[in-house]
Amino acid sequence: MISLEKVSFGYGEGSSTVRDISFHIEKGEFVAILGANGAGKTTTVKLIDGLLKPTKGKVVINGLDTSKTRVSERARHVGFLFQNPDRQICRNTVREELAFGLETVKKDMSREDIDRRVGEVMESFGFSGDEEPFSLSRGERQRVALASVITVQPEIMILDEPTTGLDYRECSHIMDVISDMNRTMGTTVVMVCHDMEVVMSYARRALVMAGGRLLADGTVRSVFRDTELMLKASLLPPQITELSMRLGKGFENADTVGEMTARICSEMQVRRAGR
Amino acid sequence: MKDLFQYTAGNSVIHRMNPLTKILLAVCICAAGFISDNIFYLLFLLLLDMMIGLAAGVFKKALSILKGLLKVSIFLFILQVLFVRRGTPVFWIITDEGLMLAAKVVLRLIIACIPLALMLAVTQISDLANALVQVLHLPYKYAFTLTTSIRFIPQFMEEMGDIMEAQTARGVEFDTKNGLKKIGLVLPLCVPLLISSVRRTDATAVAAEVRGFELRTTKSGFKKYPFRLIDLAAFLICAALIAGAVLL
Repeated sequence: MISLEKVSFGYGEGSSTVRDISFHIEKGEFVAILGANGAGKTTTVKLIDGLLKPTKGKVVINGLDTSKTRVSERARHVGFLFQNPDRQICRNTVREELAFGLETVKKDMSREDIDRRVGEVMESFGFSGDEEPFSLSRGERQRVALASVITVQPEIMILDEPTTGLDYRECSHIMDVISDMNRTMGTTVVMVCHDMEVVMSYARRALVMAGGRLLADGTVRSVFRDTELMLKASLLPPQITELSMRLGKGFENADTVGEMTARICSEMQVRRAGR
Repeated sequence: MKDLFQYTAGNSVIHRMNPLTKILLAVCICAAGFISDNIFYLLFLLLLDMMIGLAAGVFKKALSILKGLLKVSIFLFILQVLFVRRGTPVFWIITDEGLMLAAKVVLRLIIACIPLALMLAVTQISDLANALVQVLHLPYKYAFTLTTSIRFIPQFMEEMGDIMEAQTARGVEFDTKNGLKKIGLVLPLCVPLLISSVRRTDATAVAAEVRGFELRTTKSGFKKYPFRLIDLAAFLICAALIAGAVLL
């Protein structure tokens, strides 16, 4: 579905923000791109959507080379949620904002169908539709931006730090909606994220970047448990993962609160039985 | 284009000038361009612009401005050539007078755009604000407003680029090769750009206020901006440029 082959990119002459990276993402995957600031994560997702053209290598989405096709044509299949929602929002009400994407990319859709689809999304996000997007809070604006991406029902969703600046409730709501689309509709999700707890809870695969290079590609659990890799990428694993690694034998793969609780309970039972 | 107004560090003759002298020199070049009706003098002014860029180590910037103005210049040239009917016909409806006038209009446009951008590229905005306050005794409030608006130009250009990128990702055809279609698409950008501008201005005003903006006086800056020999030489050049424009 998404394929990067030996891709390099630099913003200026001689600079190299992304260096020789290759990976392949299948339909329905939930991939997190991790790395410290300046690792090349945002550049990589922009390369995936074709907003940036690689200086070397090839990016292919749905069998089409992004250098040879237009971004606006891809918008029907690829939804991009930017870090700053204010760059996406361009209409005066939430209803108009959600309809904008459909009106732009699905020109053959009837007015009734657009209104029905917008209504469904507004209901699931808890918007009345008459709100003015720019007078909403940062978190709410981020939700409006996500809702407008979801309204189009893209096959691929690229999310650049979707939870930055959001409180726990807003973060959970946004991530649950994304996760639900990934599970029920098979939407491919590629997410840049600094919140390791969010990555552990929602993503299944992690790509680790540092200095523009791809350091690792594996399951989220295997990546978080590779201490040397995490150090190299200047990342910290979630606290539960770190605790389970420190506790050692009997606590392997206890990476969530639920798993850790289950292990502690079973360990206590074993000890009680031993007494 | 967005780094056009960004400061380029250096120690050239132009860098060492008083910030106000640089601005005066830029204004005089622009004024000379509008006063003069001599095409050779206009070409000389264009050459002078490029030489200033070379001397200040910002020749690439000068070239990029030239490149940026190319499309507008061609458009203006064609428009002038088609609408001016005076003079002897050279080809179809094109007259010699039309060609000359078109060349002059385009040269004036380029001459007016390059010097100010170059001078700002070799002047730190804070130096310009301080010099305006110390030398011209302009109230800091106004100097700050002026310099902040200059500082905002590249930021707004960057913001515009980012908004266009975001809208393209949503399916708005900013990646079309049809220029006229692109102009029509700019309208939806006005709302996010306006909102972000107001937000940024508001945030800057609040930040300045909490940092004691109101307490600032002419004596608040430690750096002095005296006029040196090089500035006097620049004043003479300014006078010569204006005189040349009037006389030639």
